[in-house]
Amino acid sequence: MLFFSYFKDLVGREVTVELKNDLAIRGTLHSVDQYLNIKLENTRVVDQDKYPHMLSVRNCFIRGSVVRYVQLPPEGVDIEILHDATRREARGG
Amino acid sequence: MGLGLRSFTARTETGEAVLDADNGEELIHIQPSIHIVFNNLSPFSNGTLYISTKQVIWLSDEDKSKGYAVDFLSISLHAVSTDPEAYPLPCIYTQIDNDADEDDSDDSDSECNVIHDLSKIREMRLIPSDPTQLDTLFEVFCECAELNPEPNDEEEEEHDWAFNTDQTENEEPEEEGYVSQNPANSLGQSNGNHDLARTVLELQINDKRFEDAEEMENNGDGSHH
Repeated sequence: MLFFSYFKDLVGREVTVELKNDLAIRGTLHSVDQYLNIKLENTRVVDQDKYPHMLSVRNCFIRGSVVRYVQLPPEGVDIEILHDATRREARGG
Repeated sequence: MGLGLRSFTARTETGEAVLDADNGEELIHIQPSIHIVFNNLSPFSNGTLYISTKQVIWLSDEDKSKGYAVDFLSISLHAVSTDPEAYPLPCIYTQIDNDADEDDSDDSDSECNVIHDLSKIREMRLIPSDPTQLDTLFEVFCECAELNPEPNDEEEEEHDWAFNTDQTENEEPEEEGYVSQNPANSLGQSNGNHDLARTVLELQINDKRFEDAEEMENNGDGSHH
């Protein structure tokens, strides 16, 4: 649940979602659910030469199970909060 | 992951898609007059789209034997595509995942527009004749995708593994036991062995000169009597 609540805080920010098939999509995080399904808005493909047909889509739903990485904006990462959250999670809280 | 794209032909008498109601599958949305495009092939024209709690089904209006379905489990992503540079017509763009290995040779199909291997289909576009339906379709896709989370892989794998172990433990000794305890049971053996046994029996009856040899042979493998 840590990632779920963490990603919820990032709604409205620009993230890059890298899929297990190497496709990377950049867009504004619109929403995320408990399965880490991710909805992006104003998306664009990072490697446009490789995926020209996905040049731009208005909004995009990405299945949580196909996500490899989510690249976060540096200003969206509060290390102190993350530290606390991971410690709480590790204690089973 | 899942099965990927598959052929779907189950229609009711009135031509609608047959759903697996016994397993709780429910119809969420019907979209008539919609074209479908796989990979970079040319479109299959008019069909009807059925979105259920489990899968997306497209049935051709013209060819009643033609239809395709894909489970939400196999749809990696879906998006609204309205940029004419990405695709000339506004559409729902989907990527399809399946258990088959990645293969880039799918372009070979593009010239003749014949789908040789459904597992090579990794992209599907749905083009409604009424583009104002795109947002509704997108939202329905989202709702249904959320109804189909990944099955718990770890639990399943462990279950499979335990099942397989039980199976081998039970089966192998049984089979060995069967073979070693019943070597002369011709019912369980191939015809070749059966014929051989009969030939030996006939020889025994018809020619007494082989009696000793037969006994020795019997003693040899110790199992004929």
